[in-house]
Amino acid sequence: MKKKLLSVLLSTCLAVGLLSGCGKDAGTPADAAVAADDSAAEESGTLEESLQEGEASGEKIRLRMSYWNSEDTVQALLDFLAQAVPNVEIEYQFIENSNYDTIIDTQLVAGEGPDIICESAGGVLKHARLGYLAQVNDLAADYSAAGTSLFTYEGNVYALPGISWFEGIYYNKAIFEENNIALPKTFDEYIAVCKQFQELGITPLAAGLKSWEPMLKNSMAFVTAEYLSTEEGKSFGEDYRNGEAAMAGTWNVYLEKWSEMITEGIYTTDMIGIDHDQALEQFATGNAAMFCSGPWDYDAIMAKNPDLALDMMPFYGTQESEGWLIGGPGCGFAVNENSANKEAAMEVLTAISTYEGQKAFWENNQGGSSFLSGVSFELPEAYTGVSEALAAGNVYCPWNEWGTAAGAHENYGTEMQNYLLGISDLNTTLQNVDTAVSELLAK
Amino acid sequence: MKNKIKKRRQCGTLGGYFAVFILPALIIYLTFSILPFLYTFIYSFTDYSDIKVTNLDFVGFKNYLTVLKNPLMKTAIKNSLIYAVMLTGFQVILGLPLAALLNKKLKTRNLLRAVFFFPAVFSSLIIGYLWNFIMSSSDYGLINNFLHKLGFATFNFFTADRALYSVILTQIWQWTGWAMVIFLANLQGISSELYEAASIDGADGRQQFFRITLPLMCPSVKIIVVTGLIGGMKAFDAIYSMTSGGPGNATETVMTVMMKKGISDGFYAVGSAFGVCFFVIVMIISGFTNKIMAKWSEAIS
Repeated sequence: MKKKLLSVLLSTCLAVGLLSGCGKDAGTPADAAVAADDSAAEESGTLEESLQEGEASGEKIRLRMSYWNSEDTVQALLDFLAQAVPNVEIEYQFIENSNYDTIIDTQLVAGEGPDIICESAGGVLKHARLGYLAQVNDLAADYSAAGTSLFTYEGNVYALPGISWFEGIYYNKAIFEENNIALPKTFDEYIAVCKQFQELGITPLAAGLKSWEPMLKNSMAFVTAEYLSTEEGKSFGEDYRNGEAAMAGTWNVYLEKWSEMITEGIYTTDMIGIDHDQALEQFATGNAAMFCSGPWDYDAIMAKNPDLALDMMPFYGTQESEGWLIGGPGCGFAVNENSANKEAAMEVLTAISTYEGQKAFWENNQGGSSFLSGVSFELPEAYTGVSEALAAGNVYCPWNEWGTAAGAHENYGTEMQNYLLGISDLNTTLQNVDTAVSELLAK
Repeated sequence: MKNKIKKRRQCGTLGGYFAVFILPALIIYLTFSILPFLYTFIYSFTDYSDIKVTNLDFVGFKNYLTVLKNPLMKTAIKNSLIYAVMLTGFQVILGLPLAALLNKKLKTRNLLRAVFFFPAVFSSLIIGYLWNFIMSSSDYGLINNFLHKLGFATFNFFTADRALYSVILTQIWQWTGWAMVIFLANLQGISSELYEAASIDGADGRQQFFRITLPLMCPSVKIIVVTGLIGGMKAFDAIYSMTSGGPGNATETVMTVMMKKGISDGFYAVGSAFGVCFFVIVMIISGFTNKIMAKWSEAIS
């Protein structure tokens, strides 16, 4: 009988234990303290009161901030915020880019999610439409319209633009100088330079085409230079977003010219077997003359080869110009409308919207520029070659204009892989992208 | 005096205690398997998406038509079937003789068993990333580096034609050892008297393998085939880590398409319809496999 009782007791304990695991976790004592703070903040209703209570109890308001870049890319900003908003403790949550939207969507649908969310332009439009984000109109007034326009939904701004990002072509200055090869100024010259390197037995461009990104950015930069930046093409993004334009039939002529990157053997099918990190390694160790990337890879490249003489050139069209870079406002800092600590989160955004805040964010993203009025930073030496393009404002991200279909840029990159491999022709490639965009816009 | 009759329970008749023992597992199973499946089934007939999460409307079979019309679906099902059949087939073809070999009295038997089983200990994600470097087309790729040193040209493992088979190769490498262990357990359950009797009757090693070992291995082969086919159809992590479904859509499987279309792109209802279709496909495959295995069992008995 004792054994039976014991077995019943153990089974019940097991069931209760397992089921209790399904419930909300009370968390660590620190979490409990934060929860206590949350309720205190709700009761008092103001930041000052909750901060005072926090000070009195020696505990901080903990805010969760999510981003698709690793913590080291915002370390200086986090250090700055720890000083600027001392009663707030930021718990940084890195979520890998390919799963970022999915995870954030799920959390927001559940009425939870980070207090401060770094959002893409497409993410802001979607989440603002669903009422998940708080308006930041007052703070946004200090930013330029070029930065805030992408984060505006029905006349209200829902995110503050961070430091801009850009991607160009890193090049190894020593390899160019040793082989007496001049920097190109047009697309045709660029192709000629690549052929010169090929004749010398040097890989002109390291590219990790296992990822869909390199061909997406490279080809779109060319289309930007040739079409999207012209009078004829500058409304394409808006028309595309409204379902009034299609890539197929419009972009063909430009991409046929760009396809020389493939026909001249600069992008090869072998590169489909190489990923981004391997391509970076190839370039950093002097085994390739050029590599398309941006400031986020600078530290990794220099860590692999501190002696590398590095500079960047922009992408060119067929006509001589300052060149173009693919880029735009990086993440937009948004506040979760359902956050229990919304006012504290706004306080953090206020701190970011200062010269010091922008400077701190720029520290780990050098080369980018701030959209905060009156704030500018010196361009690091590694980006001398793109200074003219940056000064001319030739930084553009075509898919930022696609609204809720911005995510289809991944389809574009994937379809370009098919094009490279000869699985589909150019028109089919573009038609497939159009279909994906239409599906997303029709949601 | 009334004799107190002590009820002796028979094996398998737990009576009221049955519920107590079954309840924890049942609750977990209902909560995490049956309930989500029912929700998935219901959502597959609605317009549920990341843009519309409340006030859902009934849309009939629209999502199922979307799934069936999607050209990616055909690619995904084809790739999943190739993946599942090849992986399971090679697990059996290589695992069985390996198990038979390592069941013999070899000096290095335990070491070899451990070596062959070792890859199964790791996550498929880790194995995928590892093989990514080994198979890379760059100079840092182990295989291509070796080929270059021998004067051969680069062999690209990740072209549209080869990428799927490259992933399958890594999974065969990883999971054959696991199949071997299952087969070994079965082998050790076969009475040695059968082999002694066969030896007395003059049967050689090959005859013993095909006439005694193989027929009596039916239970373990059944386990490997059923779990292998179902697991293969659900392939995600190895594909994700090695190719992410690329190049282009060359290695998309049912699960990767379901994740991309259903979750990442926010078409939750379409993803649910995809899930229900997938459930039906797996059910048919499982039923078919079980039937074949049952016939094999009958033939043996």
